[in-house]
Amino acid sequence: MSDRTAGSGALVEFDRTYAPHEAVLEASRCLMCEDPPCNRGCPAGVDARRFIRKIRFGNFLGASRLVREANLLVGVCGRLCPQEILCMEHCTRAELDTPIDIAGLQRFAGDVELGTLAPLPEVADERSQRVAVLGSGPGGLAAAVELRKAGYQVDVLERSGTPGGLLTRGVPPFRLERSFAESELEYAKRLGANVLPGRGDEDPARLLRSGYDAVLVAVGLWKPYTIGLPGEDLEGVHVAGDILAVVADGGRPDLGRRVVVIGGGNVAIDAATTALRLGAERVDLCCLESHDEMPAFRSEIETAQAEGVEFHTRTIPVAITGEGGKVVGYEGIGIRWKEPGLLVPSNAERIPGTEFRLGADAVIEAIGQGVADRYEGVETDERGLVAAEPETMATSRAGVFACGDVTSGGATVVQAVAEGKRAAEGIDRYLRSLGDSASGGGDGR
Amino acid sequence: MRKPDLSIEFCGVRFPNPFVLAAAPPTDSAEMIARGFDAGWGGAVVKTLGLEHVEVNLVSPMMAGLAYEDKNLIGLENIDLISNRHLPEVLQEVSELKKRYQEQVLIVSMMAGTEDEWKEITRRVQEAGADMIECSFSCPHGMPERGMGSAVGQDAALTYERAKWVVEAASVPVLIKLTPNVTDIRPIAQKVKEAGAAGITCINTLKGLLGFDLDTFAPIPDVGGKSTAGGYSGPAIKPIALRFVSDVAKDVGIPVAGVGGVVTWRDAAEFLLAGAGIVQVCTAVMRYGYDIVEELIEGLGYYLEEKGLGTPADLVGRGLPNVVSHEALSRDYKVVASIDGDLCVGCGACIVACRDGGHQAIEFPEDAAGTGNERIPGVDEEKCIGCGFCRTVCPVTGCILMKERESEA
Ligand SMILES: Cc1cc2nc3c(=O)[nH]c(=O)nc-3n(C[C@H](O)[C@H](O)[C@H](O)COP(=O)(O)OP(=O)(O)OC[C@H]3O[C@@H](n4cnc5c(N)ncnc54)[C@H](O)[C@@H]3O)c2cc1C
Ligand SMILES: Cc1cc2nc3c(=O)[nH]c(=O)nc-3n(C[C@H](O)[C@H](O)[C@H](O)COP(=O)(O)O)c2cc1C
Ligand code: SF4
Repeated sequence: MSDRTAGSGALVEFDRTYAPHEAVLEASRCLMCEDPPCNRGCPAGVDARRFIRKIRFGNFLGASRLVREANLLVGVCGRLCPQEILCMEHCTRAELDTPIDIAGLQRFAGDVELGTLAPLPEVADERSQRVAVLGSGPGGLAAAVELRKAGYQVDVLERSGTPGGLLTRGVPPFRLERSFAESELEYAKRLGANVLPGRGDEDPARLLRSGYDAVLVAVGLWKPYTIGLPGEDLEGVHVAGDILAVVADGGRPDLGRRVVVIGGGNVAIDAATTALRLGAERVDLCCLESHDEMPAFRSEIETAQAEGVEFHTRTIPVAITGEGGKVVGYEGIGIRWKEPGLLVPSNAERIPGTEFRLGADAVIEAIGQGVADRYEGVETDERGLVAAEPETMATSRAGVFACGDVTSGGATVVQAVAEGKRAAEGIDRYLRSLGDSASGGGDGR
Repeated sequence: MRKPDLSIEFCGVRFPNPFVLAAAPPTDSAEMIARGFDAGWGGAVVKTLGLEHVEVNLVSPMMAGLAYEDKNLIGLENIDLISNRHLPEVLQEVSELKKRYQEQVLIVSMMAGTEDEWKEITRRVQEAGADMIECSFSCPHGMPERGMGSAVGQDAALTYERAKWVVEAASVPVLIKLTPNVTDIRPIAQKVKEAGAAGITCINTLKGLLGFDLDTFAPIPDVGGKSTAGGYSGPAIKPIALRFVSDVAKDVGIPVAGVGGVVTWRDAAEFLLAGAGIVQVCTAVMRYGYDIVEELIEGLGYYLEEKGLGTPADLVGRGLPNVVSHEALSRDYKVVASIDGDLCVGCGACIVACRDGGHQAIEFPEDAAGTGNERIPGVDEEKCIGCGFCRTVCPVTGCILMKERESEA
């Protein structure tokens, strides 16, 4: 179904969605399993069997609304979820032939109400308690929606001028049309979540003191790691996040003809395929891991391969070389793991004689992001990730909760949504335990 | 998520929604009906009951499905009989169900022989608390051999007589369930009306022979090497059911409970348009479970909302004025096939269909070499008589349209 053509220069390529009769046909392949295994595969708790049944029996609006109840990011997840390792991995139909295309059907469901104003779920009686959500990515938005449904007054404080987190400032537009994230953001706003862009300097403790009853930290990972290579300060060396943010915003930075990407995760893959679309003639991707060890989704790796990205797996960077202050090349060397299974640079043993050089006009580092801020009284682990109790997402500080990449260290949209929902429940339980002050009035928002 | 008001009055009884479980295995016990009500069904017809002395001797297997290409159940054939459960026990369950579920409508299906028997069972069913009674004059297998079931529904005089017995004994509304295994249902339905019944349920199953086993030469379902014609149900019979429902609703003018092949809310809406006041479902429930009512309820609700209609009652019979005799159809309205080249996938199935099943009006273009349009068929408008068959074989929705011709005035 996907129709991507690399090198075409197109930064927006649409995946075709099912026509209604095609969706019904695909849905009618569903075995409508008792105790369906697909459902256990969804972190956000989408009832796959049920929404597929709705499509099968022509209740398209019902399908759209059911999925949105469980996961406001219907359209986003229909496009970005690695469903082959989630719901679809468990599909019984695979025993007969191929699994149901749950991703495609969810995309169809999400599109049913695209461009229209999806009706809002019921909001419980308004409550006067106020919750501040830091960050408007998938985690923050999912929590904001659930908190609104429960009647709380919600302010979403977002550092950037463009809300949406990585959905609007990370994932390349050829994988996710921006309109999805925007319409799903709009839904949260219509439900009464007060999204305030440009508010990045808030501290949870201060917010609690200034009248909020609870704070959710959903700030993601926005501090790019760099390797510290010789030549890193040359012109033409970038971190992936910067390039992707510019591209997501409609920019088309010129990276030159030859681009080297360092990293083996989804961000590296996106940087590589984005570079191709920005006009690079050759893109090399160098990573520590072997093909099978790469943390990127299989489908994304395959796409990048099909588009012609050259992989240099099980290699470690040595230096970036330059001339006149500009990047001209990249040097790496092959490695083996000293101790199997521990995929970190310190465990890499260089293999003499495997040195290689690549010409490069640009080098993009995509080796991960870390937490940008620390918060008073909120415990973190050695990497700076906020420690949260898995059931309630409560942190070490009373009244402060956390969810999404800032606790997981970088996972998926759907996991951030799932944690956001759990955090909202945790907050609800916490606020109720403080004494019920459902006022019926709120402050009128 | 949302609860549209789908309630409807039928034969003086208010149903929370028009979706009712038909008399069949899904309604053979209180436990099952309760699960159906919990799932959202607006009513249920308890599987047909007989008096204690009626022997119900079941065979096995008693069901088989018609597989067609990738669908393993486009139709279901059964040689099941009426309930083999003990009458007092079921009636006890009916009373208990009625206490538990006040809103949902409980209809009890029944079958008997003599006048005394019909009147006795009517009295006892009513005492148990049934909201309505449904008399099966329609089971096409097993019972007719004993002068019951469709043996009654195929005979206008017998139908009148037995309907009258029940109506005389009943204080709740009486439905008569008729068989489609007749040449014309209308004279029989007319008799039901004259006998004073509140409404008609149609259709029961169509009598059919599902197939043969090519190794053993035994018919299907194979009961130890032999079988018998049985009752055919499911999606395959919907057009026939719609025909009977519209015949009765239009020409006899009596409330109709429509049944036969309903799976989706669209099917149900069509029954309402054809004049059904409620819609019963059997095979689809057996196949997919009680939960499919969720799709019926939501789907119909969204549809009414989208059309700006208030309740299901606004649909009942709305399609009937448009069902006319063949004679009455316009001869001035002429259409011609038109193929959308952008949608066409180039299979040429329409060419084969028109060539061997029509009027040789469709062909691949002769002069398109190198244009990329080599496999986009063209329609010769002179030859096309507008029969519409090509559209039915096209795999792409909306690719072949039947466009109205400019009138040749
Ligand atoms: C290039 C790329 C591709 C990806 N592809 C996929 C994919 O295909 N499928 C998938 O499932 N996942 C993918 N992911 C991962 C996914 O995007 C993240 O897991 C998800 O966005 C995490 O959501 P979040 O809400 O925790 O954080 P984010 O999306 O990072 O949102 C956090 C928000 O908080 C804001 N913020 C930061 N600090 C503050 C502060 N102090 N105050 C207020 N606001 C602040 C940020 O500006 C940001 O808007 C991808 C990630 C990247 C980078
Ligand atoms: C297995 C089976 C048993 C049935 N038993 C009865 C019955 O006892 N009484 C009755 O009136 N109809 C009976 N029916 C007929 C159904 O109520 C219904 O009229 C018919 O199946 C058509 O509807 P459908 O296409 O939704 O199944 C039975 C149908 C099936 C498939
Ligand atoms: S596991 Fe597959 S076949 Fe079974 S209900 Fe889920 S999607 Fe359908």
